[in-house]
Amino acid sequence: MEGNSKINLRKNGLNLKLLLTDRVMLISYFFLAIAAFGLVEMIYERYFLLSATALDAGLHPASTEMAAAMKEAVFGSGGEVKRESPWSLYIVNYMYMIYVGSGIIFLVAVAELFEVEIILKPAAGFLTLGLSMVLAGLFTIMADLNVLNLHWMVLSPQYNSGMWLMLPLYMVIIPLAILEVYLIVNHQKKWIKKVAFLIVIVALLVEFVEFYIQAKLFNMNSARHLWTSYPLLPLYFMISSFAASIAIMGLYSYIVCKNIILMYTLERIAFAFVVALGSYEVVSYLFIDKKWAQIILFGSFKYYFYLYILLAAIIPAVLLFKHYMHNYFKLIASLSIIAGTYLGKAIFVYGGNAYPMSDRFGVGFEKYGEYKEVKDIIFFMPPLSEIAIVIGSVGVILFVYRSADLLFGITAMQKIDLK
Amino acid sequence: MNYAMSLDYQSCIDCKACEVACKEENGVQLGADKQRIWITQVETSIFGQPSVSLHPSQCNHCLDAPCVGVCPTGSSYFGLGGIVMTDKDLCILCKGCMEACPYNARFVDDTHVAVDKCNFCYDTRLVNGEMTTACQATCPTKVRVFGDIDDEESDLIQMLKKRKFYVLKEDEGTVPKLFYLLPEHDDYFTINSVAKDTKIYTWETYRPIIEKAKAKRKAQWKATAK
Repeated sequence: MEGNSKINLRKNGLNLKLLLTDRVMLISYFFLAIAAFGLVEMIYERYFLLSATALDAGLHPASTEMAAAMKEAVFGSGGEVKRESPWSLYIVNYMYMIYVGSGIIFLVAVAELFEVEIILKPAAGFLTLGLSMVLAGLFTIMADLNVLNLHWMVLSPQYNSGMWLMLPLYMVIIPLAILEVYLIVNHQKKWIKKVAFLIVIVALLVEFVEFYIQAKLFNMNSARHLWTSYPLLPLYFMISSFAASIAIMGLYSYIVCKNIILMYTLERIAFAFVVALGSYEVVSYLFIDKKWAQIILFGSFKYYFYLYILLAAIIPAVLLFKHYMHNYFKLIASLSIIAGTYLGKAIFVYGGNAYPMSDRFGVGFEKYGEYKEVKDIIFFMPPLSEIAIVIGSVGVILFVYRSADLLFGITAMQKIDLK
Repeated sequence: MNYAMSLDYQSCIDCKACEVACKEENGVQLGADKQRIWITQVETSIFGQPSVSLHPSQCNHCLDAPCVGVCPTGSSYFGLGGIVMTDKDLCILCKGCMEACPYNARFVDDTHVAVDKCNFCYDTRLVNGEMTTACQATCPTKVRVFGDIDDEESDLIQMLKKRKFYVLKEDEGTVPKLFYLLPEHDDYFTINSVAKDTKIYTWETYRPIIEKAKAKRKAQWKATAK
């Protein structure tokens, strides 16, 4: 084991007892248990729930399993994925975790580039937290995808697909973030300092490309006009993500660092981002397709949208407008931004699918059969398994962060003078 | 070859024989929401007179299909004659194609845990040399005509040369190949089933659009199914 003489920190000091008794780890296990429940439910629904075709019905007319499958087809929920709204809470959580985690990595890289010293000390902590969120996002999307066929991403790549381009992007960004943490942890070595600059530049480029590709993913869905008419979508993703990233960094500082100057710096940056986010939303709805704008501003989504604006922009803007000495204001503002921006992502994903595609002929929404009702708005509650996996993804963040912290003393790094 | 279909939807009687035939022929998963083809209704009324339009629909096999471009593994691809195909073995269930489709033509086949859609009965009929789809063959009122629009002698082209038609959601730029024949001899039905701003085509006016889109994506067409 290696020792650190400056604060007598013992690296690589992780042991089984600590893993089992540490308070943060215990909380992470609680969330991971919820995730495990969700995964079991999801696997059952996706791979073991009885489903059948007409051919099966012909071949096995007397089978009890066949009868159960037919009953499920007639009276069941219609399967895990809804035809009218394929992207759901999984995508909301994936987007939030990936964008906000990437946002933290991006902001720390910028701080490193411009040598913002107050950020540099807790940089390893921030980066580990960002990386944990990225991994939590990947955990969520893995649950959403059919992992049994995932190898085709490598064996049958489609280089022009935005969805495929995310693969090499993560393959670059995750090792880069790990390398950045490693560099910070070993900051005393001169040759690593020289490489750090190059890595920061590459990290910045990758982050820009990531936000661009992720915006393209939504923008390519030509019929979902909320996503295609949002002005400068990559910029919107960046602003909303950075607002949430700063809020999470603020929350982290409140819990872990307790550095007044750092918290003040983050407070001012957060204020700038929430004002930018609020302004962006006001301006963007002047351009968004009126069918979608109608649903979100005045229709079924209106209360959620105004709650989003209240939480993500108005409350934090009021609390952060003036610098208050008491840190509770910063804490409430951070929590408000985190909740608000999550709701904003949910409105973005669900709102994109809210206007039905069934107005194919331009004479009104279609319905299937005399006794069905006409759907003029699309919304489905996610199944319990999906909700459990999304809640459980918090456990991934806590587990990854705390494991790295216990192993490398990330939190204690903040006490070291890195100059 | 360039496969397409016309729909004389004025003749549809909502018997749903086409839906049943499709499920039987292609082994489509059971369930009302699991349809490769479907018939929907739009209820309208003018001056208190109620009207119901029946709209048979399915995948439009767009020449500039957005679902193909978004697929990360090539599970969604252009097959023989420009038919938009799905290879269920390659599908990772990202659902990007479902979001990209303006017609809600795709659904998740739970028996394969993959996205499914109409393929003009490619693997059950076309590969065996048949030139009709199950839905066309079973329709008692002959709503559908399937054929090759590169063949000037085909029944489909002969039909399109005689009748005016329109396509769905033209503004999305997907260049669909389902041609909805404009209702004849019934102005009331036409008013209720065709939007006022719908662009009406003849074969001569739509053909250049087809040719242009085909030239753009033809290189991606595969001669056989995967």
